Amino acid sequence: MDISTARHVVEAIAHRVVAHADELTALDQAVGDGDHGLNMKRGFDTVLAELDMLAAGSVPGLFNGVGKTLVMRVGGASGPLYGTLFMQLGKSWPAAPDARSIAACCRAAVDAMAARGKSHAGQKTMLDVLLPAVAQLEAGTDLAQLRRLAGEWAQATVPMLAERGRASFLKERSIGHLDPGARSSQLMIEAVCDALEAR
Amino acid sequence: MNNGTMVEDSVLLLHAAGLHARPAVTLTKLAKTFSARVQIAAAATGPWVDAKSVVKVMGMKTPARTQLYVRAEGDDAAAAVAAVVKLVNDDFIGGPE
Amino acid sequence: MSNVGIVIVSHSPDVAKGAADMVRQMVGTGVPLAWTGGNPDGGLGTSVEGILGAIDAAWSEAGVAILVDLGGAETNSEMAIEMLPDERRSRVVICDAPVVEGAVMAATEAWGGSDLATVKHTAEELNERPE
Repeated sequence: MDISTARHVVEAIAHRVVAHADELTALDQAVGDGDHGLNMKRGFDTVLAELDMLAAGSVPGLFNGVGKTLVMRVGGASGPLYGTLFMQLGKSWPAAPDARSIAACCRAAVDAMAARGKSHAGQKTMLDVLLPAVAQLEAGTDLAQLRRLAGEWAQATVPMLAERGRASFLKERSIGHLDPGARSSQLMIEAVCDALEAR
Repeated sequence: MNNGTMVEDSVLLLHAAGLHARPAVTLTKLAKTFSARVQIAAAATGPWVDAKSVVKVMGMKTPARTQLYVRAEGDDAAAAVAAVVKLVNDDFIGGPE
Repeated sequence: MSNVGIVIVSHSPDVAKGAADMVRQMVGTGVPLAWTGGNPDGGLGTSVEGILGAIDAAWSEAGVAILVDLGGAETNSEMAIEMLPDERRSRVVICDAPVVEGAVMAATEAWGGSDLATVKHTAEELNERPE
């Protein structure tokens, strides 16, 4: 993956998240403090505004810069989480990227995010989309399959009991709602798949 | 150096809010200025709490118009007890800054 | 000043400032103290930049104890600590305590000249107390 493709992917992610900000806010109003959409929009609006500067160097530099921007601009709990995800992508980006090494890099990134949030699968979070996504990448997958599965994983959070974040204060009342973080993760995966398919 | 002599006294706690919040912090700060081990209690038989521990002092929830018992041991024990008694009598005004 | 510094981080700037006002009134000016609250747009939330600024404002060679309210405040504080220069990073801790009471307890302990571990422990005693 060269810098121009990486830039294209980042741009697609940013536009997708910003376009769905209202939906993310609505999901977060049901189970959280209603700011996930606003926070993510703030972070990714800044990424878009600074994209020329962020993409002026290397692929790892781009991911690291996106991560730092999200950390500083998103606020809320998802800033450090998505920020760590992108920063680790930058740190672990392979010198000679191929499907296998990119999958390993994504594994490192999601693991870093899990460590940051002190979370694991099954707690009704972004990880319930991102962890199976990484497993899928490691097993070798096609983009259409990944895109479809991402939707299923996000939907699968609906009946889950929240064990992390503001939603966990709701306990049983968190059941029956799609997790906003899972949705934003799904949107990002969709954007990546669409962007790569188009190249 | 612990000279083994326990100094004790008691004082009527008249402060309107009892030994709560700001008075507790002021008393703790004062106790910390002495090297002696300083303890306070709401009864002559205890239980005694460390007057230098703000969490423990605040946890006493001593209401107003009760007798506050003070004891200390160590080099400046007498001065410590006298200072705490004076602070309570002065309605917690004049503690260390 | 060699007393441990206290930083208050809340989702609400009003809460953070109010807690700092209470600490000043109850403990006095003998402890370095700073507060931060609100997201980068000034709405409810927390900001890594704000936290870094507060750590710097309350910096003491004896270290800094951070009091936080809910989830995001703690996670953003952890991020801020990781972004500190090497020589400061090991001297900043986050206390597992209620933000207002913890700040008062920590500041009282710091006023007495206690070290960072003792200040943190004192604040966290609040979460240990039996009801």
